[in-house]
Amino acid sequence: MENTIATRIADFLKEYPPFSLLDRAVLDQLANRALVQYMEAGQAVFREGEQPPKQIYIVRQGAINLFKGSNETGQWIDSCDEGDVFGLRPLLADEPYALTAIAAEESLLYAIPIAGLEKSFLEHPKVSYYLLTNFAAGMSSRYSLVKKGRFFQERTPIPGEPFELVEIQSIDRSKEPITCPPDMPIREAAGIMSQKNVGSIILVNADNHPLGIATDKDFRRKVVTGKHNIDEPISNIMSSPVLTIRPDVTIADVQIRMIKHRVHHLCVTEDGTTNSRALGVISEHDLLVLQGNNPANLLREVRISQKSGELRAIREKAESLLRSYILQEVAINYITAVISEINDAIIVRALELSQARLAEQQLAPPEVPFCWLALGSEGRSEQLLRTDQDNALVFADVPKKKYAEVKAWYLKLAEYTTQVLNEVGFEYCPAKMMASNPKWCLSLSEWKQQFSSWIQTPDPKSVMLSTIFFDYRPVFGEKWLAEELTAHIFSQVDRHALFLSLLAKNALQSPPPLSFFRGIMLERSGEHKDEFDIKKRAMMPLTDAARTLVLANKVAKVNNTFRRFDRLAELEPKNAELFQQAADAYEILIRFRTLEGLKNKDSGRFFKPENLSKMERLMLRNCFEPISQLQTLLTTRFQLNFIR
Amino acid sequence: MDWSRLFGKIPASQHPSFWLEYLEQNRHPQGKNTPLEEVCFVVFDTETTGLNPRIDRILSIGAVRVKGEQIDLNRSFEHILQQTDIPINREAIGIHGIMPGESRTGKEEVEALADFVSFIGNSILVGHHLHFDVSILNEALRRHKAGKLKNPAIDTRQLAVRLEKGLVPSDHKPGQYSLDALCQRYQITTSDRHTAAGDAYITAILLLKLLSRLKKRGVKTLGQLLR
Repeated sequence: MENTIATRIADFLKEYPPFSLLDRAVLDQLANRALVQYMEAGQAVFREGEQPPKQIYIVRQGAINLFKGSNETGQWIDSCDEGDVFGLRPLLADEPYALTAIAAEESLLYAIPIAGLEKSFLEHPKVSYYLLTNFAAGMSSRYSLVKKGRFFQERTPIPGEPFELVEIQSIDRSKEPITCPPDMPIREAAGIMSQKNVGSIILVNADNHPLGIATDKDFRRKVVTGKHNIDEPISNIMSSPVLTIRPDVTIADVQIRMIKHRVHHLCVTEDGTTNSRALGVISEHDLLVLQGNNPANLLREVRISQKSGELRAIREKAESLLRSYILQEVAINYITAVISEINDAIIVRALELSQARLAEQQLAPPEVPFCWLALGSEGRSEQLLRTDQDNALVFADVPKKKYAEVKAWYLKLAEYTTQVLNEVGFEYCPAKMMASNPKWCLSLSEWKQQFSSWIQTPDPKSVMLSTIFFDYRPVFGEKWLAEELTAHIFSQVDRHALFLSLLAKNALQSPPPLSFFRGIMLERSGEHKDEFDIKKRAMMPLTDAARTLVLANKVAKVNNTFRRFDRLAELEPKNAELFQQAADAYEILIRFRTLEGLKNKDSGRFFKPENLSKMERLMLRNCFEPISQLQTLLTTRFQLNFIR
Repeated sequence: MDWSRLFGKIPASQHPSFWLEYLEQNRHPQGKNTPLEEVCFVVFDTETTGLNPRIDRILSIGAVRVKGEQIDLNRSFEHILQQTDIPINREAIGIHGIMPGESRTGKEEVEALADFVSFIGNSILVGHHLHFDVSILNEALRRHKAGKLKNPAIDTRQLAVRLEKGLVPSDHKPGQYSLDALCQRYQITTSDRHTAAGDAYITAILLLKLLSRLKKRGVKTLGQLLR
């Protein structure tokens, strides 16, 4: 008989990580044993130092404050709202509570006993990865489990180059440990291994502590050769003691251990010694698979690929990497850095392949330097999903009589390159804002002229174009061409104040996406009627505002919308808070759009708000807050009330 | 002829065994001095074919246990009853959504009753307008040669009136104390209204909220709550 209430609870849980990572069957199991706990304001759920019961809490309604110390006079650490999970850490670390949880208002909690479900919950590969990356690994200084008011938690920033993370990624324990007692006959153990399709089996004692390991190699060397009989106990052929490692290890740790000890398997145990329970096995093969999907590897593959089909496959792998980053809630600035790096590499490779193709046709390249410019979202390094390509090409000035020939060559290069990009999945721009368009494949002076005319005699169309072209970023070729263009633009903008005003006015085109009653504004007509256009309504107003303000401040080489806001916060301390909010909002919106896009296999631009959870809607609404404030700021700064 | 109705009480010798067990459990009711946190409640609701306990039948029973400010879902109760020889009441189907076909596949009434009384034991029964639910259960129990429920009972409706109007209630508007109105007043999400289990769950949350407020008024023990 179905349990109506438990079903509803499971429906609620599945909206929030880590529960969202679980299968329905496990969710139902968890929901079935849930305790619904009522808390009046001021009541303590638990206090610091108390021994935790084997249960975790999720807020159903109300809010819970977490304090350091045994009561609310202690340091406030965090606040948990609807859907936030807390009281988890002691379960992972098996320690008394380090915090006190007190109801800030009348609240309902689901307390979920997890005793007996460690296997399906705590040790569920995705969940444990989520918990480790979010709550355990490297978080010793953080008490809180969930960051306040944020749907997505940022990881502690990783110092140095983004790609260093590759080496310290926590490992995904993808395999349930296959174990057997040491006295099991070799024959039976081999049966289990072939049934489970694994290459190793861990021998454990009654407490599940690892005693040794038997691998395919042991069977080959010791059994098949006739040295041992298949009816002997498996312990006769095991390697013992088995090398063990803690669950929160990184790929680098594992690699070092394997190389140092010349082994191919490591056993993961609770505390990293043989005196605790075996949790899983990491094999050399697992490592290879894990590394195959790391950014450095993908970049390497891009550089050696020969066909657009190969590039497409790599970009697809990047998409699954993107998905796992998003699910693990990795910091968005890291995600955009990694994905743009891969996108850039693909563009570079597309250009190299096209150059080679031209060479094959005996079309020698002109001795004129050029630079490939990424525009729009790729220009801003914000293109996570594959959307339309926007690009342009600038080549150095040439004598008049050579111009036609040079331009023809670069147009051909652009044609081939955009074709490759299209095959990789970056579709042709419907408005033809591509380097293969003669209008956007120009010499440096022509480009200067083009920008001058946009700036000097701005009209709505040129302003619209400038919102795309002003976000250019050199990806391939001679960067000085782009730099010279930028210098030219700044000098022009300085002399023509009206342009900035129009740009600012353009940034106000989309009103803040909230109706009078704080409802989310939906599209009124067209193909996407009743859907929310996150790009037009929420992201573009922020992007446009950032671009305008950055141009006014003459900040070059900062294209990322949230980096632009970060920079603006430095430049204008009195507005720092607003800019910081805008940067945060933009990060959340990018993540949101990416999630929707991955979910619906599209650009993520349109979705129906009713399909969002209440929490998501709330979060979305909070992101809109800085938009109207920014628009007010633009209106005053550029005196837009006069030019309306 | 239904002799039991004519002669009233059914002699103990005819009681089914589940009933005897239940009576045994209720020989030791929960003490009047039991602190509220330790009182065992069972919050329940029934869906029925209509509103006349004499004629109408129980279609489903949903119940949850409440103790110490917690609702224990691991031990909740939800049965659809097999009721074949009953008139189809279209209006009622509209409310509870139990289709005649579904009812045919349910549990036999006597089994469901046996399960239910064993589930409640000597708990304090709680429901919204529970007088009706208790009467229709008593009628059903009588049909199966058992007696009336012995458990002390609390109506969340009366509890709310008592909280809001005091022990001597004055007038109030009709509907002001309906489950829906109370849920709205006490901010309880009502996603599963009109399934027995859903209503029981919602009523249980209401009970917790009412109890916490009554506690602040000095109601600390079961005896004070029941008076």
